[in-house]
Amino acid sequence: MWIRFKRDRTGVISAFIVLIFFAIAAAAPLIAKAYGKNPYTVYADERPELFDSAGVPIQPNGGISGEFWFGLEPGNGYDVFTKLIYGIRTSLMISIAVTLAVVITGILLGVTAGYVGGKTDYSIGRVIDFLLAFPSQLFFIASMPVVVSLFVSPTDETPTYVRVVALIVVQWVLGWMSLARILRGTTLALREREFIEAAKVSGASPWRIIRREILPNVVTPLLVQSTYLLPNFVTIEAGLSFLGVGIVEPTPDWGQMFSKASTELVLQNDITYMFFPGVSMIIFVVAFNLLGDSVRDAFDPKSAR
Amino acid sequence: MSRGGRHAYAALSVFAAGALVLTGCSKGGSDASDNNKKDQENAKRQQSSIKFGDAADSTGPATAVAGAKSGGTMEVLQRDSFAHLDPGQIYVSDEMALSQLIHRGLTGYKATSTDGKQHEVVGDLATDSGTTTDGGKTWKYTLKDGIKFDNGTPITSKDVRQTFERLFAPFINQGPTYIQQWLADASGADYRKLLPDGPYKGKHLASNVLETPDDKTVVFKFKSPHPDLPYALAMAGYSVVSQKGDTKEKYDKSPVTTGPYKIQSFKSGKSMVLVKNTNWDPKSDPIRSQYVDQWDFTFNQQFEQSTKALLADSGADQTGISLSNQVDAGNLSNVLKDPKMKSRTISGYQPYVGQMNINMSKPELKDIKVREAIAYALPVTPFVRAFGGTDAMEVAGGLLSPTVSGYDPNFDPFGKKKKPAGDPAKAKKLLEEAGKLNMKLTFGYINTPEGQQYSTAMAAGLKKAGFDVQRQEIPAETYYDQVSKLDNNYDIFHTAWGADWPSASTVLPPLYDGRLIADGSQNYSQVNDEHVNSEIDRINKITDPVKSAAAWEKLDQYLLTKVVNVVPTAYYKQIQIAGSKVGGFVYDDVIGGVDPRRLFIK
Repeated sequence: MWIRFKRDRTGVISAFIVLIFFAIAAAAPLIAKAYGKNPYTVYADERPELFDSAGVPIQPNGGISGEFWFGLEPGNGYDVFTKLIYGIRTSLMISIAVTLAVVITGILLGVTAGYVGGKTDYSIGRVIDFLLAFPSQLFFIASMPVVVSLFVSPTDETPTYVRVVALIVVQWVLGWMSLARILRGTTLALREREFIEAAKVSGASPWRIIRREILPNVVTPLLVQSTYLLPNFVTIEAGLSFLGVGIVEPTPDWGQMFSKASTELVLQNDITYMFFPGVSMIIFVVAFNLLGDSVRDAFDPKSAR
Repeated sequence: MSRGGRHAYAALSVFAAGALVLTGCSKGGSDASDNNKKDQENAKRQQSSIKFGDAADSTGPATAVAGAKSGGTMEVLQRDSFAHLDPGQIYVSDEMALSQLIHRGLTGYKATSTDGKQHEVVGDLATDSGTTTDGGKTWKYTLKDGIKFDNGTPITSKDVRQTFERLFAPFINQGPTYIQQWLADASGADYRKLLPDGPYKGKHLASNVLETPDDKTVVFKFKSPHPDLPYALAMAGYSVVSQKGDTKEKYDKSPVTTGPYKIQSFKSGKSMVLVKNTNWDPKSDPIRSQYVDQWDFTFNQQFEQSTKALLADSGADQTGISLSNQVDAGNLSNVLKDPKMKSRTISGYQPYVGQMNINMSKPELKDIKVREAIAYALPVTPFVRAFGGTDAMEVAGGLLSPTVSGYDPNFDPFGKKKKPAGDPAKAKKLLEEAGKLNMKLTFGYINTPEGQQYSTAMAAGLKKAGFDVQRQEIPAETYYDQVSKLDNNYDIFHTAWGADWPSASTVLPPLYDGRLIADGSQNYSQVNDEHVNSEIDRINKITDPVKSAAAWEKLDQYLLTKVVNVVPTAYYKQIQIAGSKVGGFVYDDVIGGVDPRRLFIK
């Protein structure tokens, strides 16, 4: 299987790109330190000579220079390079957390429903149906402020971790169903197979059967599904921040950079700004999806493309 | 008038479909324009030169606008629909701009120059700007001949009496209250006791308060001198209402008008059409002209929309303007860079002054050193940037705007003009002296894109000086309600205030008189200083406008050097744009926007 994957050039390149993104995200503080800047400094006030009075960088292309590699953000003048790598870090951390939570929930509920069957299967199935029927995007937007306000005292600023936790919780609650359904179906099919019967006859406990017989057999759909889920969560997270209900300034975030890029100030004066978050996200999502395809092909070479 | 105020900014961010632009290069920002100096000079000229005109100045018709032609339809793109058309309810700047076309009062501002910078107060419906013989206690006005409502009935002193008496009725609750308070000699809302039901239950103001001896004469009698009456009467809120046509609450949707135009149709939130009022006699009106045949208003036009439509200059937009929309912050530098576009713009000061309030009711802010530290640390540049730069905002020194008489351009108590990004080193020292390093400071900000942008950068500036800033968002719709609550959570928050007429008597008393502190009052910083209170009483009695202006400026300086309850941020400016076929396009400093009274179509 590993050999099959290595033969797939697209898959290998995509895997490299994805790994680079993760490395950048993990090492963002180190990179920023080596580069000597951070994404919170208001350069429009620190270095006013680089900006006009409306906060638009005076130099062409959004103030790209040897000092500011990706230029400066119109408005408050944050450094785009550090903002982008920190933004990638925020978005990826949130998405990985959501993916992990979703995978665990999906395994627990999906495999349980599939293996136990009967009333358990029925009730979990109805919960899945119910949650799938939710208009999730609308629910995100409506529930985020509510979730946030539950945790914060009225004189304090909403801490960033509250917003992060709220984002994770909201995406998790409405994100696990499809994976659980797939795992339920796979488990249902496996349950009737001879080796499970054999295990049952030899007196294995249900827990042991799930752990030793079923789980190894659902790894394939699990891996394939989660490589599709993660970029999906990245875009959802970015979408929420774009709409202003996710991570807010001054915490750097990928999606929030898009919302900044769509303001009239940036559109009219500094189109270059949109290039960096836009291109990096396209590369990331495309690479991750191609990686997902390759992983599936590697596991299951017979299925047609 | 408070900016936004009751009609808070509907801050609708337009979620543009996020089309990703894969390639893109952009030009750099624009250099600072040279408009600044000119604006300041113009504003300066205005403050001292307003005089009260006599009968000759008050005789119509208005001076003809050079090159003006009659006819045509003017398109007007407005953001907010008009919530009120009843003069007694008008206190919001875009309704005030509209009332220049449809309502007339006893006095008005006549432009004495063609650039909209010089004015005098003249009689509008009255023959002159008012005569007083006892230093401002008794004011006599005589109505002109041949003045009529749009339904043809003549305007008499009975209508003027109705106009003022109905202001005491409970349903009039949005307009200015100056003259009511002066007549009742009361402060706050106590004036309503003078005539609790208005004129509708048969009671009237006694002749020792308001006297109308015959059809043409109106006499105001105050207990204390009010030399500002001619200014106050020129406010749209004191325009004349018809006694016979007074339909109480319903008047707000279809008033009987007196100006050169009358309302043909009004669909709230959608559109409005004004047509010529044939009963308006140009010979009776020294202020307005009537060149355009018809005005077509369209509402719900955001700043970006109206700017783009007028920039595109096609079809009906060629004869388009906006009375209150300005060029939006995003398009501003593009418009000013292009000389062709720039020639279609006008610019000037709005009456508003932005200020960061320091909540004096908080125990930890009672120490003046802490307040001074805030004042020195606060960067003003984020505020200027968020609204489009120096073409839209000018860094403020004192609390009085350049459009108010008494303004001192050299007064700069916290060095903001030299160091607009704040002086964190000095602030930190002050904070250390007070022993409050790393103290918590809750910053309530208005949740609009601009508010988010400037509040983050301001917080960064305050943090450098050693404050632990906690930003708290406040919804834009209820912003002013929240911050004017007595027990609000916020240590600092930003508000803006504009003078009702070019005198500081409409700025300092409502904002800083400690006896007015109440839920919902405009004393946002909750300052209560003995000296300030007594000075307000003293200066209010000075009858010489020049002397009182100087005294107000001294009080402004006392507030900012000895009390430090607010930090001035910026004087609001604006740039407006019109279609290429609009003539007579002039910025009027008193209106604080385009002057609709002399527009014509080329």
